[in-house]
Amino acid sequence: MPAHDAASPALLVGLVALVAATLRLSLPVLITGVGATFTELGGVVNIGLEGMMLFGAFCAAWAGITAGPVAGIVAGALAGAALAVVHAVAAVRFRVDHIVSGVAINLLATGLVRIGSYRAFGTATTSPRVEGLPALPVPYLGDISPLVPVGFLLILVVWYVQQRTPFGLRLRACGENPLAADTLGVNVEAMRMTGVILSGLFAGLAGSYLVVELNHVYVEGMTQGRGFVALAAMIFGNWTPVGAALASLLFGAAEALSIQANVAIPYQFLEMLPYVVTLLVLAGVMRRSTPPAAVGTHYTRGEE
Amino acid sequence: MPEAEWMLEVRHITKRFPGLVANDDISFAVRRGEIHAIVGENGAGKSTLMKILAGLYEPDAGEILLEGRPVRLRGPRHAAQLGIGMVHQHFMLVPRFTVAENVVLGSEPGSAGRLDLAAARARVAELAGRYHLDIDPDARVADLSVGQQQRVEILKVLYRGAQVLILDEPTAVLVPQEVEELFRHLRELRQQGKTVLFISHKLDEVLAIADRITVLRRGRVIGTVAAGEATKPQLAEMMVGRPVLFRLERPEPPRLDEPAPLLALHDVTCLEGARAVLDGVSITVHPGEIYAIAGVEGNGQAELVQVVTGLRPVHRGRVEIFGRDAAGWSVARRRAEGMAVIPEDRHRQALVLPMTLWENAMLGSHRDPLWRRGPLYRPAAIRRRVAGYVARYDVRTPSLDVPAAALSGGNQQKLILARELERGPRLIVAAQPTRGLDVGAIEFVWSQLLEARARGLGVLLISADLEEIMALADRIGVLVRGRLAGELAREEATPERLGRLMLAGGETA
Amino acid sequence: MRWTRGLLYAAVPVVALVLAGLIGAVVVRTTGGHPLEVLQVMLTYNLSSPDSIAGVLSRMTPLILSGLAVALSFRAGLFNIGVEGQYLIAAFTASLAGIYLAGLPAALHLPLTVLAGMAGGALWAWLPAELKVRRGVHEVISTIMLNFIATSLLLWLIGDVFRDPTQAGTTRVRMPEIAASARIPRIHGLAELLGIHLRPSVALDWFFLVALALAAVVYLVLWRTPFGFELRAVGLNPEAARAAGIPVPAVQRKALLLSGALAGLVGMSDLLGYFGYLDIDFPRGYGFTGIAVALLGANHPAGVVLASFLFAFLQRGGLGVQALADVPREVITVMEGVIILTMLITSAVAGRWLRRWERAHILAGQSAGTAGGGRTRPDAPGREEGHHAGA
Repeated sequence: MPAHDAASPALLVGLVALVAATLRLSLPVLITGVGATFTELGGVVNIGLEGMMLFGAFCAAWAGITAGPVAGIVAGALAGAALAVVHAVAAVRFRVDHIVSGVAINLLATGLVRIGSYRAFGTATTSPRVEGLPALPVPYLGDISPLVPVGFLLILVVWYVQQRTPFGLRLRACGENPLAADTLGVNVEAMRMTGVILSGLFAGLAGSYLVVELNHVYVEGMTQGRGFVALAAMIFGNWTPVGAALASLLFGAAEALSIQANVAIPYQFLEMLPYVVTLLVLAGVMRRSTPPAAVGTHYTRGEE
Repeated sequence: MPEAEWMLEVRHITKRFPGLVANDDISFAVRRGEIHAIVGENGAGKSTLMKILAGLYEPDAGEILLEGRPVRLRGPRHAAQLGIGMVHQHFMLVPRFTVAENVVLGSEPGSAGRLDLAAARARVAELAGRYHLDIDPDARVADLSVGQQQRVEILKVLYRGAQVLILDEPTAVLVPQEVEELFRHLRELRQQGKTVLFISHKLDEVLAIADRITVLRRGRVIGTVAAGEATKPQLAEMMVGRPVLFRLERPEPPRLDEPAPLLALHDVTCLEGARAVLDGVSITVHPGEIYAIAGVEGNGQAELVQVVTGLRPVHRGRVEIFGRDAAGWSVARRRAEGMAVIPEDRHRQALVLPMTLWENAMLGSHRDPLWRRGPLYRPAAIRRRVAGYVARYDVRTPSLDVPAAALSGGNQQKLILARELERGPRLIVAAQPTRGLDVGAIEFVWSQLLEARARGLGVLLISADLEEIMALADRIGVLVRGRLAGELAREEATPERLGRLMLAGGETA
Repeated sequence: MRWTRGLLYAAVPVVALVLAGLIGAVVVRTTGGHPLEVLQVMLTYNLSSPDSIAGVLSRMTPLILSGLAVALSFRAGLFNIGVEGQYLIAAFTASLAGIYLAGLPAALHLPLTVLAGMAGGALWAWLPAELKVRRGVHEVISTIMLNFIATSLLLWLIGDVFRDPTQAGTTRVRMPEIAASARIPRIHGLAELLGIHLRPSVALDWFFLVALALAAVVYLVLWRTPFGFELRAVGLNPEAARAAGIPVPAVQRKALLLSGALAGLVGMSDLLGYFGYLDIDFPRGYGFTGIAVALLGANHPAGVVLASFLFAFLQRGGLGVQALADVPREVITVMEGVIILTMLITSAVAGRWLRRWERAHILAGQSAGTAGGGRTRPDAPGREEGHHAGA
């Protein structure tokens, strides 16, 4: 009995710490994955989310250092959206293959942040320290970033916008049957581009969080594939914001567990964990998932 | 204010596409409250004209008058605001959305920040009641029958306050009895003061429903006639530009004593999830026979083709090809044994559009040694051979190097026929072989199939076009919900009997 | 007609490059440099002597191979973004063969080592191939995940498992030296025969010629063999390919494996020709540049070779520019993305324009003398399939 009494507070503390770590670590994937539903429901694949997150992270660091954390966060989100404009123009307006354009966006982002970092910080790889927002004290969980509750609020907002507004109905129609939407006067191009840009905004916000709130520093390549993991989370969540969020929490928990677990396996394997989990999850659910019917296709009126 | 006699007037409309004039100086006028038919064969310019009237295309020249006033249609939404609504034949619905969501899409009740779904449902229910279009606003469109989906399309334009309804080939997907029901709805609409523009190439239907008929040919108006004074041969001649024979030569195949079937399906069942898409189907195709599968599309025809050609596994029953059990035979094996396939969808299933004409001519037999020396292809020899195809099957093309995408539909189909028939097959599976073709190309395809029959080949014909089936088939099987609802010999078959079978199977299932 | 068409299509990359150059000039301006000076420095730095030209050629070797690997997958309608991870794994498997098969004659050891590399690359491509064919996992996501996994795995293998024991206690983390019998010889001897004297520091090796030869082989396979025909048909229209009896999953699997095997060769010149050992700072990024190379080269082997020259020129020029014109080398990294995007948009716009032109010409030809013959046209509004990546 005494052993049990002594063990359970420790277990509880460990569990609470794990929950807190999960929340902190899953947020970048969560925000990006929830935002990714916008681009996909509109029918556009956006593999460039990784680059948008990275570009957002860099811009957040740069603005965060010069003008404070709020400016940093806003700048990061806008930077993600700005890069998304490029993808929207290429993939929707000029009907470039979505995947190819996304890959180009990622390469472009890698180059941009290197030049930017070289110009802003004098080195291509890291920034000076970036101050964060004042932390929010939460009972049991300790200090958490104010962006954590914001992120969770966004899930509901996104759900509402997609399911309960005319914009959402039209956006989803463009992803299911753009021809039908067009014949009813819905501007398919505008809808799809908006979807892409919103997803970039979210990815940029996630990048901001990574720099301003989570690491307090910008490091080259710091997104580490989270943009892709977010896409996987969205697929796992069956193209719904709530599903994407839940999947992100799962990924976050895996990451938190790997950091907290004091096991004798090489750290490189812990590093691999998120990617392995992503692969396994996709291998498990891909056949059963139901993407929007017209995702990845281009829409033309056929007048050319 | 006196009402203008003409609800809609089209004056000197011209629309050019690269390489052709789709609409050439088109003029006609539609009275208020009439059902006005536009007829013409495929490629006559009907669809282009309709898209201009629906605001989807902008004409290069000419004007449109609505109730006597010239209007410029700036898009589908603008056309709808002016009271012109287009009922597309299908695929203009979002299957995952409910009926109400589909109807209100683009003009939703509520505010920008809130979609009022309750109001949408109420409005749809009210409209459905007023025009006797029975439908559940909460049903998902994916679960509706084709006829019901068409009602949703009609509701969409009525919701937008349409005075002029344009129906584009509305009967293409309906069985005869559903057509009757559609006509009842259209007369109801006319009674309530709506004007209907009815696009079709089926002359019997046009004569049955229209008040007046305008005939298009090659992008031009040939004339407008009152339906009461028109006859079918007269309209057909206007449409095609020469007298049309409604009878084909049927050269007889060689007589065989007890011919062994080339293709036999025994009690074949295929599942899609838990649903049987084919349910205990048994058919046989003999040498020198055209066996046709009739039925409304989506009742297992596509699946039947897949089973026969080896693209879909059989869950129960047996497929025998040339007298042998074909279980486990790949697509390639079946082709090698002597099966030719003319797939339903030229662009998706039969051709690789960006590849050249000569590459498409090799597709399917591309491993054949006749194309190559050792491991490598011989371009010169390939070109010689394909040039022969092009000449024999009258494929009109400036060169063998054009991508297949650049050929017209008729020429694409001729290329496919050449590719499949030149391999010397014993059995032809032809799915919707004349869909979207003009009369000249249709005649070519039909005569090729009848010639194949005369040479003793077997043909499995799958067609949604009853006229085609009546023209070609020796025996006719009707598929309803994956079951063979009945089988008729050529002599017993009439459109009415076939229509009854198509429906009856559905009601008893 | 055939030639006009070819010429028009060939003009697309040129226009794209001019546009990219203009954007590049703007980027150079923002970093405070002078675009013309940068261009001039690059030209003299890269092309002024046989040594500098050979330096550019030696940089082409991995880019040609990487570009071929990506282009091959592209032609099959697949997008192998995993070349990066595949060549790293290949460098490791080749190292194993290079180290542990020591003692074999060079005529056997070198080919075996290279084969081990190809096998390693193919192995790392086999996983996404199976995931794609069996589980429907998009190869883009799986290959990217495997790139990350490869990086971590390699760190562990080099640092913890196969670390050169003689380096223990130093900061150098690398595998043991590869035997001399598995090294790729330099091309200097051949150059000497042709009367060109190259300095010993020039790293051009025989693998450059191997890469060129492979470009020719890839061309022959894709356009002159039934397998290549099937691969391209699957890439352009898998549904029609399947209906024509082509086993689509098998072709996709083979295409990814072949792409992986080619990717396995990407690092060979660096590993067996230059360094002679695998360490944790082994060159990275060839896989991603290969995507740019393939796209700029229109997924055609000849285009890949030309595009490789351009990127090798830019990369080597970047070094010269940094040293001589005080412009950060990073400008060149941006140029890769910029070139791809201008290339994509130019070809999308030009493609649309060209198709219109083609249709006009061909339909005009067809309607001449048509008696009731085909005039149906695809005038229904419709969607265009998204995956015409190989175009």
